[in-house]
Amino acid sequence: MNTRAIAVPFRRRFHSSRLAQIGLLFAVWLASEGFVRVVHIPIPSGIIGMFIVYILLAWGKVSPLSLRRGAQWYLGEMLLFFIPAVPAVTAHPEFFGLLGLKILAVIFLGTLSVMSATAMTVDLFYRWRVRHE
Amino acid sequence: MNEVAFWTSPAVQACGWSVMTIGLYLVVKRVYRRWGRWWQMPLALTPLLVIGVVLALHVPYRDYYNSTGWLIVLLGPATVAFAVPIYEQRGLIRRYWPMLGAGMLAGTATAIVTSWAFASLLGIDGSLRLSLLPRSISTPFAMNMARDIGGTADMTAVFVVITGVLGSILGEFMVTLLPLRSALSRGAMLGVAAHAAGTAKAHELGTEEGSVAGLLMILVGMLNVFGATIFAALR
Repeated sequence: MNTRAIAVPFRRRFHSSRLAQIGLLFAVWLASEGFVRVVHIPIPSGIIGMFIVYILLAWGKVSPLSLRRGAQWYLGEMLLFFIPAVPAVTAHPEFFGLLGLKILAVIFLGTLSVMSATAMTVDLFYRWRVRHE
Repeated sequence: MNEVAFWTSPAVQACGWSVMTIGLYLVVKRVYRRWGRWWQMPLALTPLLVIGVVLALHVPYRDYYNSTGWLIVLLGPATVAFAVPIYEQRGLIRRYWPMLGAGMLAGTATAIVTSWAFASLLGIDGSLRLSLLPRSISTPFAMNMARDIGGTADMTAVFVVITGVLGSILGEFMVTLLPLRSALSRGAMLGVAAHAAGTAKAHELGTEEGSVAGLLMILVGMLNVFGATIFAALR
């Protein structure tokens, strides 16, 4: 009875605290980082952590409410975390010229192709399914 | 302590660059929310401004990176956070997995083949060509994959950003150009080709497009990382 008196308000506060949930994501990530170092598997620790969280959610050990706010914030602000990687171009003066234009061309044409291939594939499957339902 | 030594001490520099980066990001986000022009997209404008400041002050990238690299490390827990949207969209996976899977495979194969082919055509080779391969997928996955296949992770991060910007601009035209019948295919197109930037665009098109894009962006990232891990192990 006593544990319940503590656990219920705690759970309620956890479900509304973005900071605590971000802390939980961090804890899982640190644990998987340690796991990867000890076991030496070539899988990024973030992905191991993702599987752990998914399994906890799927088995009902953790309610999605305990993570939703934290995860939403984190994924919404993800852009901030890779901005520091982008000024790497300043270390490569050769990109500010013909090579840079070539790279842009590769990315432009490649992106156009990926978009068409993905969209047409899914749409063909979709039409086929609609016709056979 | 004299003044020059204070301003050039590593701790002050680290704080200064971090505050500048986070500050620019917050300002650009507010500007975009207010006016919403495509060139004000935080994904495009923030890195450009940061590059501008770094170039204007003649700071070597190494110094900037040493001060702000901790932000990149925080992409690790972001990957963990992806578990929540996947779990919440599991109904979508169960219902449409054949076509979503087919779209992902087609998109990934196209991304790798076309990057390789166009790069070779234009005479780009070596680790630069390899760094171009993972550019369609989300940054945390792409940087891992770049390392595995022998590319350069920081170059890949740049290409990922350019792909996101181009993809979400192109997305606008592609939806009207291609004869697409389903929200599913529009979402898949944006999520597979242009990761988070595409997903944001997909959310503008509709809720279903947005969910599909967000889900596929994660799944396609995982598919690529696993593919690259196997490739690296076999090599």
